[in-house]
Amino acid sequence: MACFDRVSPALREILLKLYRAEKPVEIDHHLYEFGSVEYHVQSSAADPQHNYLSISTPLLSQGALLSYGLSSYTMQMVKQVCSDAVEIVEPAKEGYQLTLKLNFAKVPIGKDSEKVITQISSVQAVILSSQLKEMLRNVNSQDTSQGMNKPIKLVYHPREPFYVIRQPQKITAVFPMRFREHSDVIIATAFFQELMDVGSSEKWAKAPPCTWSPIPPPELRGEPLEDLSTNGGFVCFDISSHHVEGKKLDKTVWSLLNFYAYVKNHVKCTRGFIQRRMQKRLESLVEVLHEEKLQENGNVKKVKAHAESRYGGKLVSLSKPKNFKRRCRDLTRKIMQIRFRIKIHGFRHFRRRWLTIPKFSSPLGYTKLQ
Amino acid sequence: MATSLRLYLTCIRNTLEASLCLQNFPCQEVERHNKPEVEMKTSPELLLNSILICRNEAEKCLIETSINSLRISLKVKQADELENILTKKFLRFLSMRAEAFQVLRRKPVQGYDISFLITNFHCEEMQKRKLIDFIVQFMEDIEKEISELKMSVNTRGRLVATEFLKQFI
Repeated sequence: MACFDRVSPALREILLKLYRAEKPVEIDHHLYEFGSVEYHVQSSAADPQHNYLSISTPLLSQGALLSYGLSSYTMQMVKQVCSDAVEIVEPAKEGYQLTLKLNFAKVPIGKDSEKVITQISSVQAVILSSQLKEMLRNVNSQDTSQGMNKPIKLVYHPREPFYVIRQPQKITAVFPMRFREHSDVIIATAFFQELMDVGSSEKWAKAPPCTWSPIPPPELRGEPLEDLSTNGGFVCFDISSHHVEGKKLDKTVWSLLNFYAYVKNHVKCTRGFIQRRMQKRLESLVEVLHEEKLQENGNVKKVKAHAESRYGGKLVSLSKPKNFKRRCRDLTRKIMQIRFRIKIHGFRHFRRRWLTIPKFSSPLGYTKLQ
Repeated sequence: MATSLRLYLTCIRNTLEASLCLQNFPCQEVERHNKPEVEMKTSPELLLNSILICRNEAEKCLIETSINSLRISLKVKQADELENILTKKFLRFLSMRAEAFQVLRRKPVQGYDISFLITNFHCEEMQKRKLIDFIVQFMEDIEKEISELKMSVNTRGRLVATEFLKQFI
């Protein structure tokens, strides 16, 4: 449900487009994110100064805290985050938890405009985290109301619910882990074991203690069976007061909300890593075989060449007169090459014409008539 | 290399050297057909006794020989769940690309993780010694690769866990 990035990129793009439009634009956009978050952006050409952004996001389904909608704390958080350009419309539009009226004329000009619009785009993350923030803020409160020790189920995503259990001096967040594939379960289990090992080391004593168990923790006793049936076990974080002091609260809340996404991302990346490594290894294994084959081909060629020369020699030796003639020809050529090492183009013709000894005709002889 | 592994591989090497004496032998049942007898098993007189070499209960090698073909099936050590999925993934990956290896069987023999089929044609095309070297090297590499992969996955997990816990501090 939660994503590593607090800002909704699609919403940001639409709002920036609206803000930068030179002429008033008529917009009526419905955006869906993570399957259960809905944004409705409305802008009319007639009234360009006032644009409406409505947000519908899944809230705590069973908690008594927010059953009626957004709490006052959440509204306060939204007001804090958004600037003067944003006004909360009450009541919100039907089917949405929050409606904001955006006045782009009040958005500061220049680089700050992008910053403000980015803040407006992250309003869903604010709503999401403010609910958990409200719970974690009261870690040290000595509230002994009837809700104490009773697990609160947070269903931000239908497939990824998690529990928050208030206990004396701490709050325990329990994540039931479910995966589609068996291999994912194994990779995630290895990760949880590492998480436990790292968390229990002295260096990370300040981090919330983390435990993983294949069976549900005793605090979840009495919860519906379908919620407790998992294939990846249960991961628990014990959040104490020093984890939610000041600025740490925001980080802690966002880390807990992102835990599912974090684990799933790790599993996905590890699978990719294994695949890449296997591909690389395959190449090296095949190379060994191909090298052998190449060597073999080389050997075969050598053998063939050797055989050809051997058989060739035999064939030549069978035809002796021809061989003798060839040898004589070769010898003559070699002698000629020795005598006339330097070849001058046209010298042969010159020699034949001027340097030959003239033949004297015999008186008894006769000359041929032309 | 561990002594037990060296002995195991030497034993496999010697057995392969002894059993890789294949010759061309046409099918006795169908005319103009030439099939690996170790796969078809049509005539019992053409088959030799199979040899099972075990390093331990989890690691073994089955060598089945016939007149014109030889089948080697390997079972690779899988100490835990992670090794199990890594071995399965890796060997499945290799089996799906069997054409690159020529001698690799697409489907392993039941009870084993990977199988090779060497026919007399392979022996004619490649050197027998090199083929044996390849099989032994393959076995060594698989074991090494799986233990390295396991270590890498755990190291990645540790790094990711550290990064996650850093956010709380």
